[in-house]
Amino acid sequence: MKLKFLRALIKGKLGNAAISIIDKNRGTNWAGEHAMLIDPDFLSHFKGIDPEKVLFITGTNGKSTVNSLINHILRSKGFKIVSNVEGANLDAGVATALIKGSSLSGNLDADFYIFETDERYLYKIREQLPCANLLVTNLQKDQVQRNGDPDFIYRKISRVIDAFGMRLFLNGDEPRSCSLADRSDKTVFFGVNRHSKAFCKDDTFVTMPCPKCSSRIRIDFFNNDGMGGFECENCGFTNNNGREKADYIVDSVSFDEKKLSINDVPFPMPYDLPYMLYNYAAAAAVCKELAGVSEEESAAALETFKLIGGRIDSIDYRGQNIKYMRFKQENPETLQNFINMIASDPEEKVVVIGFGTINDFDPHYINSFYAFDCDFTGLIESNVKKYIFVTDAIAYDAAISFIYGGVDPAKVEVLPTSNEEEILKAITSSGCDNVYLTIELHRFEHMKEFARKEK
Amino acid sequence: MADKRINIAWMYPDTLYLHGERGNLMALVRYAMELGLAPHVSRVDLGTKDFDPMQYDILFFGPGEISSFKSVMADIGGYKRSIAEYISSGRILIATGTTMSMFGEKITRFSPDADDGIGEVIEGLCVIPAESFEREYVFGDDLDIRAEYGGYSMELIGNQIQMADIRFAESAQYNRFGSVIYGRGNNGEDSMEGIVHGNSIFTNMLGPILVGNPWLTLRIVRAAAENKGISIEAEDPAYELEVRSFALKKEFIESKKKQQSQKK
Repeated sequence: MKLKFLRALIKGKLGNAAISIIDKNRGTNWAGEHAMLIDPDFLSHFKGIDPEKVLFITGTNGKSTVNSLINHILRSKGFKIVSNVEGANLDAGVATALIKGSSLSGNLDADFYIFETDERYLYKIREQLPCANLLVTNLQKDQVQRNGDPDFIYRKISRVIDAFGMRLFLNGDEPRSCSLADRSDKTVFFGVNRHSKAFCKDDTFVTMPCPKCSSRIRIDFFNNDGMGGFECENCGFTNNNGREKADYIVDSVSFDEKKLSINDVPFPMPYDLPYMLYNYAAAAAVCKELAGVSEEESAAALETFKLIGGRIDSIDYRGQNIKYMRFKQENPETLQNFINMIASDPEEKVVVIGFGTINDFDPHYINSFYAFDCDFTGLIESNVKKYIFVTDAIAYDAAISFIYGGVDPAKVEVLPTSNEEEILKAITSSGCDNVYLTIELHRFEHMKEFARKEK
Repeated sequence: MADKRINIAWMYPDTLYLHGERGNLMALVRYAMELGLAPHVSRVDLGTKDFDPMQYDILFFGPGEISSFKSVMADIGGYKRSIAEYISSGRILIATGTTMSMFGEKITRFSPDADDGIGEVIEGLCVIPAESFEREYVFGDDLDIRAEYGGYSMELIGNQIQMADIRFAESAQYNRFGSVIYGRGNNGEDSMEGIVHGNSIFTNMLGPILVGNPWLTLRIVRAAAENKGISIEAEDPAYELEVRSFALKKEFIESKKKQQSQKK
């Protein structure tokens, strides 16, 4: 067993070394994948890890960002961290991080081990790697081709908590993850008070079933799609599982000044999008509870926080500023965030929407139905001159869902192509400098490259 | 317009809440209005008092999580007989996705902790002759079928996010809803898709299928009007965007089929 582990570890280390010479941007999985082929129980053989210092971060949205925030804050305080902060969140990604952080004999001496973990791999990883802390960002509709429905993931996470027992860091404003509190006697809640960009949806939209009794959850306001002030109309289940308030709460927010406060401590707001508020609160909670870093110290660290590989970018092309925001396909929350972001700009604008086919694995398929969970009212009222729907198979489907949402068909142009040049040409001929674009990342990168060459 | 009113019940929308099926209600309303009818949508939630199926012309059940089915069945169980009568009378019930399983005889859940994977067995509403088996892994793909409805044959494209495979017993009362052109259908083996009883549809197909396939939506709305003795003078409206969308999706599916056959 020991020999197999050492062989796997050495192969992983050699692989990491080779990859870092060839291309530092690659290889977040390679070493771990190959090590686990040699030793399937690879994760369980590392030494020197105190489970109390290990945190898994799971959930639908925000895992990578919360991981980055926690890493940034703890590293700024001088702690040594082993983490898969590059974002590879399956067992191989965790293995790669441990290979990088360990000695040649598999010993580790970090202060903390912070791992983003895919929800479906959580049990497998936890079976091998002891961990006393679990953070669940939120549990929402997402990637239905492999996750099916939120309950499918909820059961997977519940099984881990039931089998191994963990201290839980939970979003107290998102009903599903909040209800996991019933499974542990050690729960830390994070949350956000109602803020100025909170919104409501009328009852032509669905909410969700109560995770405790399946009755209707009433959501009084959304701080972010899927989370806000809620109550089950049958059993009374409510925010923070009935506690008066979250342990770590964003109690005030000024988007204009890019400031917020957590537990009455002033924080900077390096990224002023509503969904980030939950990430700040989650990171502050972990840093205090796990490492004793005060809110004041976390706030100071955030002054220098920069998100790598975020969802926002832009292209300057022939005098037009094309603002790009990536959203996760099959995920209504991130699409709603994109819509809300555009809607907050009152200036005349063109909106370019490029849903893609879902190509995560075979079979590739078409899915645009999550758009029917989104509210376009704010967008419609925000001075949009034109909507352009692009990409091959889904352009018309996407256009139809927006028209059903209330968009004026006379403002809709459908361009069923993924050709970057044609898309940019359509944007140029729209006669508006203010352009918002969402499209798959690789297509955006092609467009950016094309625009750069055109300059 | 009172005599043109079509009553639509959106059944348990916050419990059977998956896959953007709100779009289907919007499509029913849109096409009913375009045919000169006066559609009215009511939400029926868990605990809604004095629900009487016969007050409605269309009952719509979207897909939900199996974990919610017991609560829904406990609520609707009291109306089981009247729902059976409702269906037999030719009125329209539509159940999509995994929710179809709830109307069958039993659902066998998957358990990761059982050696044989068999978990709890849930008794269904026994409205249709079907048995469902929850899958260990989700199956998701496009679904392209040739459907028969109301004496019309039509091609439909939608999605399938299969949480449970379903098997139907032979029954003279029921017809299959469709035969599979592309996709999994009931269970990936019988090349069949769903079941029809009178004007009611039970299908694995989900998502806003009534948005994407208006030729079906119009047949449903016309059947609802006919049931009520409402005559419709209007011709079917145009749906140019939907036709173009369908063509692109069909092209995508055909290219997948070609790739899959090349791999074989």
